[in-house]
Amino acid sequence: MWALTTVSGGVGTGLIGFYLGIAVSALLRMAFGYPDPWDRDFDCSIGYVFGLVGWVMGIGMWGTWSREWFGLKTRTTRVQGWQRYFSFCTDHKVIGIQYLTTFTVVFLLAGLMAMLIRAELATNGLQFFDKQQYNTILGLHGILMIAVAVAAMVGGFGNYFVPLLIGAEDMAFPRLNALSFWLIPPVALLLLLTPFLGGLETGWTAYPPLSVQTHTAQTFWNLAIVTFGLSSILGGLNFVMTIMFMRAPGMTWGRLPMFVWSMFVTAWIALLYTQGFATALLMVTLDRIAGMSFFNANEGGDPLLYQHVFWFYSHPAVYIMILPGFGVALEIIGHFSRKPFFAYKYAVGGFLGILGLSGVVWAHHMFTAGIPNYLHPPFLVMTEIISIPTGLIFLAALGTVWMGRLWLTAPMLFALAVIFNFACGGVTGIFLADVPTDIHLQDTYFVVAHFHYTIVGGEIFGMFAAIYYWFPKMTGRMYNERLAKLHFWWMFIGFNVTFFTMHWPGIQGMNRRIADYPAALNGINLFVSLSSFMLGASFIVFVANIVYAWARGPVAEANPWSARTLEWQTSSPPPVENFESPPRVVGHPYDYGIPGSVHSVFGDHPATHPAAAAGAASGGAAGA
Amino acid sequence: MAVITFGPPAHDLPNRAQINRVGLWLFFFSEAILFGLLLSARFFLEGIHRAQVNQFLGLIITIILLLSSVSAFTAETAIEHDRRRLASAMLLVTIFLGMVFAVGVGFEWATAEFHRKEAFGTVFFTMTGIHATHVVTGVLMLSLAWAQLRRGKYSSKSHWPISGTVMYWHFVDVVWVFYYPALYLVS
Amino acid sequence: MTRHVVSVALLWAVLTAIGEGSAFLDLFPAVGSSEAEDFDRIFRILLIMGTPVFAFVIAVLAYSMVTFRASGPDDAPPAFRGEGKIPRVWLVITGALALTVMIYPGLTGLRKLQSDPNGYGWSDTQPNLFIHVQAFQWGWQFDYRDFEGQHLDFSVLSVGGNAAELVLPIDVGVKFDINATQAPYDPGTNPEGGVLHSFWIPAFRMKIDAVPGRTTTMTVKPIELRGFQDDSAFRVQCAELCGLGHAVMATPVRVVDRAAFLDWVALQKAAARK
Ligand code: HEA
Ligand code: HEA
Ligand code: CUA
Ligand SMILES: [Cu+2]
Repeated sequence: MWALTTVSGGVGTGLIGFYLGIAVSALLRMAFGYPDPWDRDFDCSIGYVFGLVGWVMGIGMWGTWSREWFGLKTRTTRVQGWQRYFSFCTDHKVIGIQYLTTFTVVFLLAGLMAMLIRAELATNGLQFFDKQQYNTILGLHGILMIAVAVAAMVGGFGNYFVPLLIGAEDMAFPRLNALSFWLIPPVALLLLLTPFLGGLETGWTAYPPLSVQTHTAQTFWNLAIVTFGLSSILGGLNFVMTIMFMRAPGMTWGRLPMFVWSMFVTAWIALLYTQGFATALLMVTLDRIAGMSFFNANEGGDPLLYQHVFWFYSHPAVYIMILPGFGVALEIIGHFSRKPFFAYKYAVGGFLGILGLSGVVWAHHMFTAGIPNYLHPPFLVMTEIISIPTGLIFLAALGTVWMGRLWLTAPMLFALAVIFNFACGGVTGIFLADVPTDIHLQDTYFVVAHFHYTIVGGEIFGMFAAIYYWFPKMTGRMYNERLAKLHFWWMFIGFNVTFFTMHWPGIQGMNRRIADYPAALNGINLFVSLSSFMLGASFIVFVANIVYAWARGPVAEANPWSARTLEWQTSSPPPVENFESPPRVVGHPYDYGIPGSVHSVFGDHPATHPAAAAGAASGGAAGA
Repeated sequence: MAVITFGPPAHDLPNRAQINRVGLWLFFFSEAILFGLLLSARFFLEGIHRAQVNQFLGLIITIILLLSSVSAFTAETAIEHDRRRLASAMLLVTIFLGMVFAVGVGFEWATAEFHRKEAFGTVFFTMTGIHATHVVTGVLMLSLAWAQLRRGKYSSKSHWPISGTVMYWHFVDVVWVFYYPALYLVS
Repeated sequence: MTRHVVSVALLWAVLTAIGEGSAFLDLFPAVGSSEAEDFDRIFRILLIMGTPVFAFVIAVLAYSMVTFRASGPDDAPPAFRGEGKIPRVWLVITGALALTVMIYPGLTGLRKLQSDPNGYGWSDTQPNLFIHVQAFQWGWQFDYRDFEGQHLDFSVLSVGGNAAELVLPIDVGVKFDINATQAPYDPGTNPEGGVLHSFWIPAFRMKIDAVPGRTTTMTVKPIELRGFQDDSAFRVQCAELCGLGHAVMATPVRVVDRAAFLDWVALQKAAARK
């Protein structure tokens, strides 16, 4: 079996690299006169670097790319069917699916961890886990979900649909794209191994000095994050280049679909700020394994340095998470409102405004961290200014639905829910941005509620909108619309009940990251736990629907939503080269109902735009 | 199911040269943030305090690195005019100077009067270490490019690997232009 | 068009009215200090300002979903593209809102909390009682230093759920100087170290981190005669993940009247001398 050979080959070279690295590091330690050549964290770090190189080379980078550097001829492989997904394949559509399936699985896993968290928190005292286990689960839930939020949309839908939406054949650097993806499996492996290597203790933020002093698997966690950061940076670079240079003729900046705009800005943020995450954890690693003192106050270090560097990335990162959600929501609302997009330029301005401001608000996570007082006012001001560009996204969404003909399919419902949920999450953000209120609310469940509203309510709902919206295009099959709507209402209600309630224990004085809390908060926590189980159960509907539809759902037509953008003007799924004949863009993508308006032409014929007929044909889809 | 062929692109984009160049610039942009953050960390932790460093050595390796940028530039210009021998010689000079620089940093490390445990040592070793890693990477890439050049792969029309590595070399050089005063001069 | 606008405006008004009701609910834990009163007031103001924003989004979405629905791709006649006045009005309104929130209650509230731009922490009230706080894995030590000019030199050590309490007099400004330490020590002897913690008393709505290498400060003025037995919000709770003992790094707080406090102080002093 071809796929098996490549993957096991990659694992093999990876392992060889790993042991080689360990040997090198142990020898080095001996050469420099350390009494003990074996130091788990140090040796494994060096081993990991070697192993990582071995892995990506073995999985296919050597054969299809690196041989070139040594003047050798690169090899060409022909693969079929599902085996493509286990190869160093450079087709952006394959990479998109690789990302999506990987991160959907990770999402479900991390969701199950959330269920464990809620089970433990159902009442006070310790029931199922000891404190170490709780902290491990908490840290894993946090970081895996953050990884999902950062990479699932960008890597999945971004890869699959950005080239299609702009009429390109592939990404600007296809091989780099494959590399970005194949850096992910080691990250997932390392993170999932942490429980067996000593667990985690520091939550997803990994604040030193605790993260330097802890005897857990922190070093492995750091290595995973640095790798993940590398993957994000390369991915971001690729998107920026693709969108700048690969647009089809006529696809001017003023005609870019909303999702592409959001990906453009997201990619810039990933490219510019991700280094902060990597740098912060590099410093922690150096403190841990090389005995340095970035964060050791006794030697002149400062723990707050970490927080500045960390949030310098991690605040912009929340926009990496939400912008694709906004982009998908606007994209879908634009198509399913069946009327011209409202305030396109302002929405783009909103995206760009967020890009500009995202890097100057980070210290709002540090209002109570003991930063000098003169830092509070500027960061308070900048943080609240960000609500103005964000508001423009809302303007566009609300203006587009207003007086439209809303075709309330499952993707549209999810898209509208993004707007609804994020309004709540954004407004609670204002409570946190105001220092006088943040002093009490920081590190409480109010913050937990805020960020689940923004991430889950904003991005994860957007991700499901995108899954349903593009499912027929990606798989060539149609999901069951009734089940999808059931999933929507179930998830929507479960989500809002769970997380809206969660604000209250926060105000009442329940802090985050604890396995145990005062008995006075029992009732409310039990309620939250029960509703979160309800929320979790809704995903069973989703999994069932998608798995069944992918395997034997009805065959979808090319354009079941009769949408105007380019991806729908080609077959489902699209051919390897995306379009039979190269597209030319001649008009705005969302001008529904404007007589004579056309978005694209292929060859010499205007793209067909069959109206109502297509919707009726897709069966359940029309039963709004 | 579709059959997929992958490997080297069969027909490449017409503007590949431009895409490569801008892409590399973006990469520098991102790297600059890494170097910038470390530089900020240095001032955040230590202000303008500085421990005793080997001024003579610092000056020498700085000059060496600057010179290597000149030779790298000459190599690129040479290949643009199909002067392969000159290009090859200049690449070798660059590689040599780069290695001397790396050895110089190693010597500085071995003889430093401060320990990595102190805050200044921490930032000094990290900044020079990360930078030297880039220099060594650059040396490796230059060597690969040189080997290909020797085998006659490049001409005035097609020499992206040389241009790319030389651009990278300049970038690493510029970083040092900021790091040198921050580590050796201020106080 | 006008009909729709009027209906949605009405819906918005109703939703807002309902939502504003929440500002009258008692959402908060016990009010233990004058800072808590400020917090509750500011929180309510934000609630009052935020509700219409949220309600507006709900109103437009809900109304559109019900009124403008269609059962298939039925293209609407060209409507407005949002290039005229509306976006500009929106910008002005949201800009004004953001500016308002920023200045009042944001910056004004902040100014009251900060007297020294170079300090690390909150100084809301004039202090008369000075307490040095040591945060360590996992417990607190409170070194009582000075009360109205009277020198105090006893410490309360709270570890592992022992009976120790932080006792405070009512209506007296208290200043906490907070350090993170490796282990409790006699002031002026041990080096600092340890990890981050956060000194938080929910009933007082005040918190500041304990950071190795710097001293952070915070003042409060208790105004309620209550204690942990009456309300679990009267506790010092660590609010920065600091390892396994993080959840239990809590100490009861008891606010007593002046006489009781002086008695308690005398008792502690006597115990310290022994
Ligand atoms: C997708 C992710 C996402 C997004 C988009 C946001 C968006 C925002 N966040 Fe959030 N935040 C997180 C994810 C996110 N956040 C996470 C994960 C944490 C916790 C990290 C941790 O500690 O683990 C956090 C924590 C966090 C804190 C620190 C809390 C603390 O620990 O003390 C603060 C403080 O200022 C904050 C503020 C904001 C603000 C002001 C916005 C703004 O961008 C919101 C702007 C939007 C609106 C305001 C609504 C729409 C606007 C209108 C309808 C216009 C009119 C409105 C007005 C003018 C007010 N967030
Ligand atoms: C993308 C981001 C994301 C998402 C989607 C979620 C989803 C959820 N989160 Fe999470 N959460 C975070 C990001 C996220 N979280 C972060 C960053 C933290 C902070 C960590 C830290 O402090 O360091 C956090 C912390 C956090 C806490 C605080 C813990 C603490 O501080 O002690 C809690 C507590 O209730 C919680 C709950 C939940 C719940 C109930 C969900 C639910 O939405 C989950 C829904 C359930 C599922 C998705 C699983 C369903 C699957 C099945 C039922 C199986 C079906 C499968 C098959 C049939 C194959 N989360
Ligand atoms: Cu101390 Cu948490
Ligand atoms: Cu933030």
